[in-house]
Amino acid sequence: MDPKPAVLAAVLLAPAFLLLALIVVYPVGRLIWTSLFELNLTSGLPAEFTGISNYVLVVQDPVFWQTLTNTAVITVVTVPGALVAGMVLALIANLPFRRPWPVRLALLVPWAMPLAFTGLISAWFFNSQYGVVNDLLRRIGLPQPIWFNSAVLSMAAICLTIIWKASSFVAMILFAGLQTIPRELYEAADVDGAGRLRQFWSVTVPLLRPAIVVAMIFRTITALQTFDIPFTMTRGGPGNTTRTLAMYIYQNTVSFLDLGYSSTLAVVMFLISMAVSVVYLRQIRATT
Amino acid sequence: MRLRGAALRPIAAFLVLVNGLFPAVWMLLTSLKSEAELTRTPITWLPANATLVNYVHAFHEQPLLRYLANSLIVASASTALTLLVSVMAAYALARLDIRFRDLALGAIIAVSTFPLVTLLVPLFEILRALGLLNSYGALILPYTVLSLPICTLVLVSFFESIPRDLENAAMVDGTTSVGALTRILLPLSAPGVATAGILAFVNSWDEFLLALSFNSASAYRTLPVGITLYQGEFSFPWPEISAALVVGIVPVTVLIILFQQRILAGLTAGGVKG
Repeated sequence: MDPKPAVLAAVLLAPAFLLLALIVVYPVGRLIWTSLFELNLTSGLPAEFTGISNYVLVVQDPVFWQTLTNTAVITVVTVPGALVAGMVLALIANLPFRRPWPVRLALLVPWAMPLAFTGLISAWFFNSQYGVVNDLLRRIGLPQPIWFNSAVLSMAAICLTIIWKASSFVAMILFAGLQTIPRELYEAADVDGAGRLRQFWSVTVPLLRPAIVVAMIFRTITALQTFDIPFTMTRGGPGNTTRTLAMYIYQNTVSFLDLGYSSTLAVVMFLISMAVSVVYLRQIRATT
Repeated sequence: MRLRGAALRPIAAFLVLVNGLFPAVWMLLTSLKSEAELTRTPITWLPANATLVNYVHAFHEQPLLRYLANSLIVASASTALTLLVSVMAAYALARLDIRFRDLALGAIIAVSTFPLVTLLVPLFEILRALGLLNSYGALILPYTVLSLPICTLVLVSFFESIPRDLENAAMVDGTTSVGALTRILLPLSAPGVATAGILAFVNSWDEFLLALSFNSASAYRTLPVGITLYQGEFSFPWPEISAALVVGIVPVTVLIILFQQRILAGLTAGGVKG
């Protein structure tokens, strides 16, 4: 005997929504609640309700502003950077190769490489004495900096690493979009005498727009949460110059056990992330 | 003009290959050099006397095998759980014509835009209160939620691409909905299930923040956490780290070589529709 479809649907969907309630909804509720308390597990004191005073502390905290700025710099540099690099990779991968798999493999390997591994490899690449980057600079006669002693160069190395890692994901999304563009459109453009560059801007980019928007949304949200690569490359140093907001939240939670304050920082991160999603989603609605 | 384009093609392909594979290849070359060679300047590119001694050290000085096993346990368990939950949900969403389909699917997908680091704080608090820090369960459940959106999306679009005729015919013959799912739809959707499984596995294999925060005790470290914590306060033992990284990169690379077509298809479904 078959149960009613509505009953069956409820039973089948129950585990998914139970998990979401348990691992997402309840924790977020608890997060907002905890942000209103002073709760530091190292003090041994019970939680004390302090209202919005944690939020006042956040606004007055110079390290918060520094980590927020670092996160913003990483986002503003790596999102467009990965989009351009990913577009180049996707256009190349879309060329009619006789054997397409080596190029596809070269796109997939960075995608599947754990971020922490990428950061470690990159730290070795940029090692001032034994790194391959400085070896290449030496060969072409350029000065070889001590990358991780400088705030600007550390940030540059981190951004380059993130762009490398993220461009493969962007490339795969764009590559999938490129394959849906009918060849006839380019043939028609050829007949009309449009050059390659003109074809790219008038045919490829407009038709790729949905894929570009999707890639940008995911990339921006991911960039705002940047943690693994700066953690493995610099641990936030020198000083706090490459510490991101996510690293600051981690530090307050796991190292300082200051759960009231870290909850407040996490709520701020949540709001920023939601705001960005809403802006992007408006953008999609407006264009489709 | 055309001719020049065709001549540039191998160069373009070469650039993509170097870009994608050089870091992994460089780590392999590094791992085969002796410590003496690695601390020589100017550096060598190819190992002068290739040696496997770094691999021996990597496995001896840290419980690398333990880390590898932990990663496998956590990734396999969360992949199995994700598949079970998302197959059930996707069947309801794709086949049962429910009224709130778009809302339910939207709610599941919305989770994928959620910053993981905001979950870190409350989950840390809850796990600590329950005494569940440093356990496999601490990671398996969050990882399941992490992969649930993409897997459900991939499976819904796969199920919807399969005609309902076979299931309808079987149901006329008295098969239940559950029978239609397990005996007809699932076997036909094996490629889609494989895609979802690979995506879930790679997600879990790569995750770092929660693994570092919840399971920092050596016995429960996953591979990325274990290798990252090889480094001391001021020194990176590069010979061991490079060997350990190669050990970590190989399994996923093999998975990719075997299933590259499926992975691309899955990301396409997730990307274009999501």
